[in-house]
Amino acid sequence: MNFTLIFNDKKEIKSLNKDTSIKNVLDEMELSSEIIIAKKNGDIVIEDEKIENGDEIHLIQIIYGG
Amino acid sequence: METCTKCGNPKIIIKRKQSGQTLCKDCFVESIQKKIIKTIKKEKLLEKGDNVLVALSGGKDSVTLLDILDTFRERNIIDICAVTVDEGIDGYRQDGVDIAINHVKRLDIDHQVVSFKDSFDITLDEIMDNPEHRGSCTYCGVFRRWIINRAARDFGATKIATGHNLDDETQAILMNYLEGNVDNLTKMGPKTESKSLLFAPKIKPLREIPEKEVGLYVLAKNLEVHLTGCLYSEESFRGEIGEIIKNLSKNHPTIMYSTLSGFDKIKTALKNEHKNNFQFEKCSICGEPSSNEICRTCTFLNELDKKVVL
Repeated sequence: MNFTLIFNDKKEIKSLNKDTSIKNVLDEMELSSEIIIAKKNGDIVIEDEKIENGDEIHLIQIIYGG
Repeated sequence: METCTKCGNPKIIIKRKQSGQTLCKDCFVESIQKKIIKTIKKEKLLEKGDNVLVALSGGKDSVTLLDILDTFRERNIIDICAVTVDEGIDGYRQDGVDIAINHVKRLDIDHQVVSFKDSFDITLDEIMDNPEHRGSCTYCGVFRRWIINRAARDFGATKIATGHNLDDETQAILMNYLEGNVDNLTKMGPKTESKSLLFAPKIKPLREIPEKEVGLYVLAKNLEVHLTGCLYSEESFRGEIGEIIKNLSKNHPTIMYSTLSGFDKIKTALKNEHKNNFQFEKCSICGEPSSNEICRTCTFLNELDKKVVL
């Protein structure tokens, strides 16, 4: 099982564990959900959304320092 | 499964920690529009016939501001013009300028792009090359205000609208408080009017919207925006304060709202207690209103061995 992760114009295939949520991915990448909005297969989703086999997850940083 | 609190749609895009509300895309967009319009009405930010100058960087805040104000223009309540300031930050600003141009063309709005280079014969990059600089945000804030005030007069604007959001306002309140800058605190608010008639009143319609929700709004509405951080932002005190507030907000999700509403309650008392008797004269160099013989813009430019290009 795997999913595609897009962040900062980089696309990579990641292996997927059962019951993985967007929040888990953000935590693993040490990214705060306060500054990121996630899209799953093109639709905006909340961080509790579960990722399924073959999903494309796009993380968009909308807040920068300053 | 969680559904939209308003319409029951299972496709939710936000779970508001501060209220427990969950919203789908359409209900979220509507809630933001209603909240901003409520602020505009509550604070009497717009009057029929206003010509509003939007400070349009092409970032999420100013693009959201333009999107909402355009609904007032569509109903012939106000007219809109826009100015984009090009600070001269290589590898950063041009994308925002291009996006701003796309929006004003799409909406058929009068627009000026004004650069630091054209106005002051120096870019922000060149200023930052000088080891004696005062910090990027200090120049940027003062120089941008100078350009925007001038643009407002060129356009005959009756109001200047900026995209300051709830995070910006909370940061400014804390920064000014922590620095003991009471004068600056008295100047803050949804609408600020100067004693000088040469300065158009400034309004902040987004001041009650959290920054993250502004970002969500532009994505939900598919608005073209410049989503990149300023290359100099990490150096700022504002950035440090922003981090503190974000960390506090994790366990205290209403803290920005309470900071702003608390400030709004003491604002009038603060203003009355700290009345300043500045008399605006003209800066002896550039002619802009100034409470000193030389305005801050010209003071900074003197230090940089430059002067306003008139």
